Parts: sequence; C-alpha cells; structure tokens
Amino acid sequence: MTPFIKTIRWELVKIFSKWRTYIGFGTILILVPLIMVLVRKYGIDIENEALRSFQGAFDYIGSVTNGLLVSYFLMNVLWIHFPFFIVLVAGDIVASEGASGTFRILLTRPLSRFEVITGKFIATYVYTLAIVLFLGLVSVGLGIAIVGGGDLLVFNKGILIFSQGEALPRFLIAYLVASVMQMTVGALAFLFSTWTSNAVGPIIGTYAVIVVSYILSVLQIDALQAIRPYLFVTYFNVFFVPFNVPVPWRMIAVQLGKLGIFILIFYALSVVSFIRKDIKT
Amino acid sequence: MIIKTINLSKKFGKIWAVRDLNLEIDAGQIFGFLGPNGAGKSTTIRMLMGLVKPSRGTIELFGRDIRQQGAGVYRRIGALVEKPDFYLYLSAWRNLQLLGDLSGGISSQRIAEVLEIVRLSERARDKVKNYSHGMRQRLGIAQALLHDPELIILDEPTSGLDPVGIKEIRDLIVTLARDFGKTIFLSSHLLHEVEQTCTHIAIIDRGMVVVQGEARRLLGASDYFVTEIVVDDVEKALRICHDSQWIKKVEVKDRTLKVQIISADRPNLVKDLVTGGVAVQAVIPRTSLEDYYLSLVQSSDL
Repeated sequence: MTPFIKTIRWELVKIFSKWRTYIGFGTILILVPLIMVLVRKYGIDIENEALRSFQGAFDYIGSVTNGLLVSYFLMNVLWIHFPFFIVLVAGDIVASEGASGTFRILLTRPLSRFEVITGKFIATYVYTLAIVLFLGLVSVGLGIAIVGGGDLLVFNKGILIFSQGEALPRFLIAYLVASVMQMTVGALAFLFSTWTSNAVGPIIGTYAVIVVSYILSVLQIDALQAIRPYLFVTYFNVFFVPFNVPVPWRMIAVQLGKLGIFILIFYALSVVSFIRKDIKT
Repeated sequence: MIIKTINLSKKFGKIWAVRDLNLEIDAGQIFGFLGPNGAGKSTTIRMLMGLVKPSRGTIELFGRDIRQQGAGVYRRIGALVEKPDFYLYLSAWRNLQLLGDLSGGISSQRIAEVLEIVRLSERARDKVKNYSHGMRQRLGIAQALLHDPELIILDEPTSGLDPVGIKEIRDLIVTLARDFGKTIFLSSHLLHEVEQTCTHIAIIDRGMVVVQGEARRLLGASDYFVTEIVVDDVEKALRICHDSQWIKKVEVKDRTLKVQIISADRPNLVKDLVTGGVAVQAVIPRTSLEDYYLSLVQSSDL
C-alpha cells in the first residue's frame, strides 16, 4: 500500500471514528422509515397534492402512490437539507485537526502537504458517496418494503410512467449524480475548512453561500441572468434528469462537467491554501 | 552537521518571533534549546519541522537544505512539538498505528516496544481522551521514537510528568544519545533539567540567540546555579563553606545556605559538611533560567 493510499485509508478511519459522521446516517435511518410509514397511512393526501394539476384533464382509478414515488419525492431533500450532513464532515475534516492540534503530529510525518490534503479530499468524497447512496438504498429499499413497489409516475412536463425495473437503474444513476452535486457543497465546505481552525465557520459559511446562491438563481431579474452560469446551484437539478425519456446523457455529462469544474476550483484553492498555511495551533 | 540554521527568521505580522538564528548541532549531541516563554523556541521547532515557513534564512537538516529534501526527511526525525495532542477518539495503539503507517510502516512489535518504554502498555487500548496530561506526554514521546529516527526533537518533554516520569525521560534521553547515537534537540525553560541532560545548549530570547556552546563550559561559568543546603548548624556550615576555595559564593537566607557550585561539586560539599560535623538535612538544587538569562543580558549591556 503506497503512503498516499494509507493516507486516504486513515482519513476514512478518522471520519468513521467520529460520532458526528453518524448523525446523517442516523437521521436517514429514523426519518425515512417514519415517512414511509406515514405515507402508507396517509398516502392519499400526498397523492392528491401531486395530481392536483392533472385533475380535470383525465380521470384515474386506484392509487399511484408506492414506495418508488415516495422515494422520488424524498430526493427533494438533496437540495438544501441533505447538504447539512455533507458540510458537517467536510467542514470539520481540516479545521478540526487545527483546532485539536493534531496537525503537529500529522504534518511531521514523511508526507507532503499535497498528499495530506488530497487524501482528506478523497476521503470526503468517499463519505459523500456513501451517505448519498445510503439515502438512496434506504429510501428506495424501505419504500418498496413498507409502502410497496410498482410503477413510478413522474410528473415532468407531463406524466412519465416507469416500470419498477426501469425505475431502479434510474434511481441508481440519480443518486450517483447526486453524489457529485453534494460533493460540490462538500468541496466548498472543505475549502472553508482549510481557512480556519473551527468547524462551525465552514458549516455556516457554506450554508450562507448555498442560500444566497439559491435566492440569486430563482429571482426573476434580468440583471441576474448573467451571473447564473457562475452559480453552482444552477446545475443542482441534474439528479432529476435521469428520469427523462430518453435519458439525456449529454445534458447530464455537461452539467456534471460544470459541477466538476467547481469542485476542481474549490479543491485547487484548498491545496494552495493548505500548502501555504502556517500551522500555529 | 545534523541541524544547521543560517539567519533563520520568522515574522508574524510586525513581530519577529525568530530573528537571524544561527544554530549548529552535530550528531550525537543532546542540544538544550533554552529560553523563557515567548522566546521563539516553539516557532524555531515548527520551522525545523516544516509546520511554519521561515520568512527568511535557511535550514539544513543532515547536511542538505530542507527545501531540496521534501517531506521524506521527516522519516529521519521524530518530534514532539509543544503539547502532545492526539486523535482523542482513537486509542493510543490506534494513534501509533496511524502515525507509524504514515511514517512508512511500523510493526506491531515496535508499537508495543515504544509503549513499553513510556510505560503505557497496560492502557494501550484506551482512548486517548481518557488519558491524563502526563500519559499524553509519554505517548507524545512514544510517537517521536516510533520510527526509530536519527534526530529526536522534544519540546518540553517532561512537562506534566511526575518525578518518576521526569527521571525516566531524562534517563531515556541520555540513553538514546549515548547508547544509540541519536541526536537530541531538547527545548526547555528549565535550566536545571538541561543542566542534568544536555551536552550543548543555546539560550534564546526575543527570537535571538543570547549564548550558545558546550553546556559544561557555559553552565560552569554561570553565577546563577544555587544549591540550597538545610543544616542543623548554619554558622558552622558557613565557616566550612568559606574555607572551601572551590565554592564561588555562599550566603544565608531564612536559615538556609545558598551555595554557588556546579552540580558535580554537590557531593563534595555534602562530604565536607558531614566531615566537619554538620548534619545535612536537605540538598536542593535551585536554578533559574530567567536569572541566568538576565545575567547574560546585563553583562552584554555593560
């Protein structure tokens, strides 16, 4: 095992040895089953809400509510709520070493700072991927188990119906794509984490940027049109794109590419900041 | 030359923490790096270990400029920089495993060995958050020794240790240098500790070297090493001391003799007093870096 691989391994050990890492996993394990049980019991209300715009256009018999539909709706947490679990770890991973003084034992090893910071960055993505896929697995798995399987109705410029067999691979793609979208948030929190020795700052800072960016991206003001391409939240809807027919792979690739550029910029700034940093704590 | 600094300087804002520091440390030396709090000791160590970048000047480690060597040079150095901080949520064993792995790979046997040296074997599987300060200090020394480095840099290594622990660490430092040929860079503000351990010293203040050289020569010349002697008959003891020409100075304060002698002469003094019929109740070495430092500053001002 090369020293760099060892660095990544130990960064993962550190991440998964902290209780804060499990806040996200724990919340998912509590909330998702609760939602599924509630939907199973009161699902018709959600269904009526979802189909309101189509009432009068056509009649439907029976219920379209199933685990896949609920999972689909649950993906909306990825916009603004779920990033909290990402920044909780990404904002802490560098700052906490400064706060606890452990840089003094870590950076006096025969490892370059580039290796250390890159190891931390990769470990952050592994965590991000793990928790996003965990949400997908629990949401879809428990959705089918508690509410039931069946066809997925997607209301996207009309109604699209996917069989369960068609929907499951799209969920997988959607969550993989969402991991990149979440990592954009993670990379920003990571950058802020290299600037400070307190994890609270990066968490608040990242959320401030996300909220301001969302506001700027939804305001219908002509003057703001020009800056929208430079806001990473503009590309956050990419995780719903796999539920189009046919799957617009090119559009997904372009949006992921743009998010990738943001991630690279945040990573590069983190590297420069970390390499130049004086460790005074 | 193991360590050589040439005009090493570091400025934080408008303050020079270290200014034109020139140090030379040869292989096998136990080098005492002394100075009052805020003198620039830790900043110097941080620069040696690559934690802080010098504002100007050069650091040579093992004969080569540190900038040409990269991080690989730290395979040859073990360091305890300031207070011993660890990953509190991991056990001591796991911490050492992590640090050993990142130092190029350390066997479990070696981890057990260093834990044995610092007397932490029985608590090796406990999380570090449950450790006392003294235990963390010993773990800090263990991690510095872990990869069997040629140069060991220790910043206040006996801080927080009990008397037994202090003696063990002092003995360990001497053994590492004498029996294993290690070079030790020992930062401390305790002159007494340095007197007992180091072969060479440098004293810095306000970021600049005040004095540097062989410990025996420098400390022997100092007027600020006092041995307090508590005896039953102060007058008789005072007469004996006045008769001994090798005693530089003696005075009585609060029924206690304060004698200026080098540590090697303490047994001779006790012997003379006892032979002269004086019962010696206590012998207490008192040294003050601040006093010694002030003496140096005063003499340089004159």
